[in-house]
Amino acid sequence: MGSQTLTSPALEYYTPPDGCLIRVEDLWKTYDMGGAIQVNALSGVSFDIHRGEYVAIMGPSGSGKSTLMNLIGCLDTPTRGRYWLNSRLVSELTDDELAYIRNKEIGFVFQTFNLLSRASALHNVELPLIYNGTPAAERLERAQDALRRVDLAERMHHKPNELSGGQRQRVAVARALVNNPSLLLADEPTGNLDSATGEEIMNLFDRLQAAGNTIVLVTHEHDIAARAHRIISVRDGKVARDEQVR
Amino acid sequence: MSAISNAQPLLSRVKARDGRATFSVAAREAFFIAVEALRAHKLRSFLTLLGVVIATTTLIVVMSVINGMNLYIADHIANLGANVFILDRFNWANTSDEEWIKEQRRNKLIRTEDYEFLKDNLQGYKAIGAEAYYGRNSAPPIRYRGHTMYDVGITGETPSMMGIEQQEVGSGRYFTEAEYQHSAMVCFIGTDVVNQFFPNSDPLDKIIQIGGQPFRVVGVAQTIGKTLGQSQDNFVQIPLTTFQKLYASRPGIDIDVQANNADQMMELEDETRALMRARHHIPYKESDDFGINASATIMGLWQQLTGSIFAITIAIVAVFMVVGGIVIMNIMLASVTERTHEIGIRKSLGARRRDILLQFVIESGVMAGVGGLLGIALSVIVAKLVDMVFTASVPVSAVLVGLSLSTIVGLFFGIYPATKAARLDPIEALRTEA
Repeated sequence: MGSQTLTSPALEYYTPPDGCLIRVEDLWKTYDMGGAIQVNALSGVSFDIHRGEYVAIMGPSGSGKSTLMNLIGCLDTPTRGRYWLNSRLVSELTDDELAYIRNKEIGFVFQTFNLLSRASALHNVELPLIYNGTPAAERLERAQDALRRVDLAERMHHKPNELSGGQRQRVAVARALVNNPSLLLADEPTGNLDSATGEEIMNLFDRLQAAGNTIVLVTHEHDIAARAHRIISVRDGKVARDEQVR
Repeated sequence: MSAISNAQPLLSRVKARDGRATFSVAAREAFFIAVEALRAHKLRSFLTLLGVVIATTTLIVVMSVINGMNLYIADHIANLGANVFILDRFNWANTSDEEWIKEQRRNKLIRTEDYEFLKDNLQGYKAIGAEAYYGRNSAPPIRYRGHTMYDVGITGETPSMMGIEQQEVGSGRYFTEAEYQHSAMVCFIGTDVVNQFFPNSDPLDKIIQIGGQPFRVVGVAQTIGKTLGQSQDNFVQIPLTTFQKLYASRPGIDIDVQANNADQMMELEDETRALMRARHHIPYKESDDFGINASATIMGLWQQLTGSIFAITIAIVAVFMVVGGIVIMNIMLASVTERTHEIGIRKSLGARRRDILLQFVIESGVMAGVGGLLGIALSVIVAKLVDMVFTASVPVSAVLVGLSLSTIVGLFFGIYPATKAARLDPIEALRTEA
């Protein structure tokens, strides 16, 4: 074991891959179900996603797509394998470092909106800025700007229960955008909306993608997935198909 | 090596986020969340805080009463006059019953002869006086033209007492040496008596009846005011010789000696003690059969008393605070469970463990602090009421101690629930229904 053999694999191991925003390499997630029983939610998933791509991750429930989304969203760490996000190996970070990545690099849009019900739309959008210590004046300016981008500037002082479903989801998108993340991660963003409002949100995503944002969409609906440029189908914890559709 | 090159910049940036700016932004957010949570659950918060409110109120009220009594002591033991000690039958600073019973049995009355003896044999004092008194409850009534006053303190004084006691002549004069020598039927009265008998007329040279005997009013004292809720102006003073002639059943007096300065006090006390022991033939080994009481004696007695009151208070307050703290901890645990989904949202947006920890610890601290403020408000009201019948004065230190103690209790009992909140898994927390 000379220093030569030790350095070169390590270098290769940690060198971030060029050109792509996300590289997932042989990702495993195993859950202990008590006793000796183990369930593999993911068994060796690999793919790359480049900057500016619009990708849908598809699969029926139980396919492992939620687990995959949690890993890509840095809410969880893999049992095995490596994950680079924006040239950084995030699969080996601590809780607080993951919190930092979530804050800076990822904007979440959830099916159930996940807004704080007691806070105004504006305050909800401000939250990610609070957790990176942005001073109040700048925070207000950026939150208002983000709300303007989703056409909700005049409703910023309303609380979520005073807004329609579509408006709530737009607040969530504004919150996801406010830190200028490198990745917009949407989990069934239209699942709780009627089809007209869903269409409205999908159009918003189209606009954001056209403006240069990278979007990863997790869904089980074909019509929604069809809006993306690339579809990664997950089945039984593995990538079943990975095709460019546009 | 390269592992570090990947992780190090991020780690330092995470650390950089810990700067003061981030902390103050997060702390302010936590503060607003706390206030919002309190507003959202007014009744629940109030019930939760009751323990802390009561503890803070108790603490501040007791401190206020002791403070009020201290002010009284400072003001009115000083009533004794500067550098004065009192030779009395008893030692006032006696706290044990045994000593007290022994003194009752053994100590002789101090008499006018003792006063004359000390006046002649004590060296270097500034002034010496003597007084005998009827307590307010047992004193004979005084009358003037059909008006009667019952509980007026009647004292017999030597003329020299005017300089020794801290009282001033308001109008007229004090009685003279000649009046003292001849047991004259003259009196010097307090303003309460004036207000009762002479609301619209000049009391000087009027004749009032004291225990059925006519006395001419020669002077009125300046108003002293109330101490511990008791008027200090409710008195009649007559020459000591007159007092002893009329009330022969009360031959006991006490003797007030005034030194020229504080340094001379000890010397004079020792000399008085030696003279009195010789006069009473006390053997070397026996203790005094009289008491020499100075303001120091009284202060010592006083501090002993307040010390034990305070110790008991601290014990009670500690119990209240712990109970109050546990109630807060309980409600915070409930709050963490209730707001698991919210914690999940905050974590998904980049809140670190310490951000969540801070949020809940501050919420708990603010809650208890509000309890402290309520306690302060309540104690100010209670102290005002107490002051009407007794004495109380809220010291600033008590307010500060009350507020900081309750806040600290809140912060401390918030740590456990906050730790639970901070440790929540973001995925699990998000999955919990709001």
